[in-house]
Amino acid sequence: MKSTNNNPTFKSYNRDPQLYDEIFDENDNVRETYETLFELYSEHSAKDFGRLNNKAKASFFNQGITFQVYGDHEIKEKIFPFDLFPRIIDAEEWKHIEKGVLQRSKALNAFLRDVYHGKKIIKEGIVPLDLISSSENYLDQMNGFDPPGGIYNHISGTDLIKHSDGKYYVLEDNIRCPSGVSYVICNRTALKRALFGVFNHYQAYSVTNYAENLLEILETVKPKGVDVANCVVITPGIYNSAYYEHSYLAKAMGVELVEGQDLFVENDFVYMKTINGPEKVDVIYRRIDDQFLDPLEFKPDSTLGVPGLMAAYKKGNVCLVNAPGTGVADDKAVYTYMPEIIKYYLNEEPILNNVPTYHCSRPDELKYVLDNIQNLVIKPVDEAGGYGISIGNRLTEEEIEKVRQTVKASPRKYIAQPIMSLSVHPTYIEDSKCFEPRHVDLRTFTLLGADKNFVLKGGLTRVALKKGNLIVNSSQGGGSKDTWVLKNNH
Amino acid sequence: MLARVANNLFWMGRYIERAEHVARYLNVNYFASLDAPNELSQSRQFVLQSMLFMADDFSRNGNELNEEEVLYDIALNPDKHFSIINYVKLARENANSARDLISTELYEAINKFYHFVLNYPVENFKKNGLYDFSVQVTENTSILRAKIRGTLLHDEVYSIIMLGVNIERATQIIRIINSKYKDAVIAQGSYGDTLKNSYEWTTLLKCAESYDMMRRFYRQTPTSITTLEFLILNTDCPRSVMNSLNEAWEHINDLSHEKHPSKNSSAFLIGKVRAKYQFKVIEEIESDLQSFIKNILDDLNRIGIKLEKEYFHY
Repeated sequence: MKSTNNNPTFKSYNRDPQLYDEIFDENDNVRETYETLFELYSEHSAKDFGRLNNKAKASFFNQGITFQVYGDHEIKEKIFPFDLFPRIIDAEEWKHIEKGVLQRSKALNAFLRDVYHGKKIIKEGIVPLDLISSSENYLDQMNGFDPPGGIYNHISGTDLIKHSDGKYYVLEDNIRCPSGVSYVICNRTALKRALFGVFNHYQAYSVTNYAENLLEILETVKPKGVDVANCVVITPGIYNSAYYEHSYLAKAMGVELVEGQDLFVENDFVYMKTINGPEKVDVIYRRIDDQFLDPLEFKPDSTLGVPGLMAAYKKGNVCLVNAPGTGVADDKAVYTYMPEIIKYYLNEEPILNNVPTYHCSRPDELKYVLDNIQNLVIKPVDEAGGYGISIGNRLTEEEIEKVRQTVKASPRKYIAQPIMSLSVHPTYIEDSKCFEPRHVDLRTFTLLGADKNFVLKGGLTRVALKKGNLIVNSSQGGGSKDTWVLKNNH
Repeated sequence: MLARVANNLFWMGRYIERAEHVARYLNVNYFASLDAPNELSQSRQFVLQSMLFMADDFSRNGNELNEEEVLYDIALNPDKHFSIINYVKLARENANSARDLISTELYEAINKFYHFVLNYPVENFKKNGLYDFSVQVTENTSILRAKIRGTLLHDEVYSIIMLGVNIERATQIIRIINSKYKDAVIAQGSYGDTLKNSYEWTTLLKCAESYDMMRRFYRQTPTSITTLEFLILNTDCPRSVMNSLNEAWEHINDLSHEKHPSKNSSAFLIGKVRAKYQFKVIEEIESDLQSFIKNILDDLNRIGIKLEKEYFHY
């Protein structure tokens, strides 16, 4: 058993007994899964890690895996910070996660089909009507429509955390345009380049098979009568923060990366403008939001989309992935009903935990929330990227009062949850040149097709680099870690 | 292949090639002038004038030129549309939009090149960085050419890029000839040398990285006739106009798949222009070089427009 003090790069590692530490147990011993890795890392000095850290950064920069920050005078390019200490998930633990996220994706797909058809779940009183009637993401256009293959959420990104009780909880289901999968692959490449030796000691699954599985899934939902499906990825363009991911996926699948201006619709069929003239398109993996898809149906001033696209879709001549209108189910209010939704459609017990949630739309729960803001996280139901979140125990009296008034003003817009403590993981900190504990979460990627599904064996472990910070989103200074799923228990 | 992306790749090829020629022009002219045999060719004003002519900046005609300012404008001034930094920026932006089609190796090389130019310390450049900067630019473009040839599929993507490269190369060689010819005319007689034997021909050949091979081919000091013949008509000289036209012809044929291209096609036009110069003799060209320059620039321009209409129209 190794403890923290044997290793110079762990000298400022202070384990907080209140939190679940992914690599040290409650007696400060290294957990079994991490023993070998910890030993291997002990062979490197703090200086080595500094050098490796710079190397990894340069590798991302030169590959152009960057996002842009708009400063006062110029546009600066920044990389998403990458951490040198990988997260390891052993086989048993992963089996549980994989089953759980697949179950959720399937339940959400069934829920979406119901919401846009008979709405049985509402009629039977399992979920309230206003859950969807007041949702901005509900699309009338999808009512009564059957998407090719019967699939709505082909791609789901599920955000999980490990709480201080050592159990996984789902925080969010992202089923609009979840991003981040390219970083799973880049992180693996970067870690291999920096510390290739460590891979000999663990049997981890490869993550590079994502794109081929995605292409297969896209092909399963081709429109009727199409022999060989012509698939494309549509992007808002090179200035989008996820452009690298869009181009990576197109390249890895060997399909065209198009912008709205490259496509046009004629007689309800979609074509792309190639150097040899128009070419019919059958399946579109779209990375633009619903509201920008088609200026004739949604935002009329959108230049990102394609006029007539929805008409072609509704005629069944093209398949959109994910289906429009999935946003109604990745709403944070719907999240709170997930246990009921899973039971209702699949007749199964939920495999992964949901965080208990208080609906501010319910008067008694609203009262509890307003009285206990200091112990709760208050979240707007329809914001992405970690914006608009208030963490009760970080607020001053004055701020609490402000939040109270905001929630009171539009209760439907907010939910509240107990403050979950995300587990911590050793993370290289540039300032101290040491590993320190930082909060992490995990995003998994699940694919649903007609008669085929796939869960990427790996995921994006996001880490909040600021000490004590719980928000891991890259837009708020988060980094990420390579994530290993082991083939056998270590 | 998408028409929009094809257009971007065509221009990526052009901008890479343009950046290289401008960088070499700066380098060769500046350093050749330092020990030029006549006073005029040594004059700062004369050299700076020539650089601005090549860069296509006529905004300060007749004014006393400031060396630091001129060199900075052409190399690193992001606000000048004709600066090298701007060409590299555009090349990289174009590569960005076709990132799914080109190899990681090519993209990474362009990206590194871009960051090199972007982060080149301006103060160092102004002090004594011209040589280092321009050499690094030409070396980086050589790397890019190798990555284009060595890592891409030789399919339509490659043909489009190479069409851009070759049309731009022919254009730049003509522009360099034009610029140096003008210099030779001005400089003639200032040290007893005639136009035919001007020192500027050597500089011209070096601007096209063709001096050594020209000496090997003719085994004599460059004259106006031999220099022009080598750079315009010699099919074995990789930088010659004729060679660029031959390459363009090859690539358009790979792209169009038509055995007998129709009268309105780009392939037909490129073939026609190529045939026009294929059997020219240099004496014919030299007797009225100005008209020749004007005509061939027109021809190249028409080819660009035709390609745009046929392939990039979207």
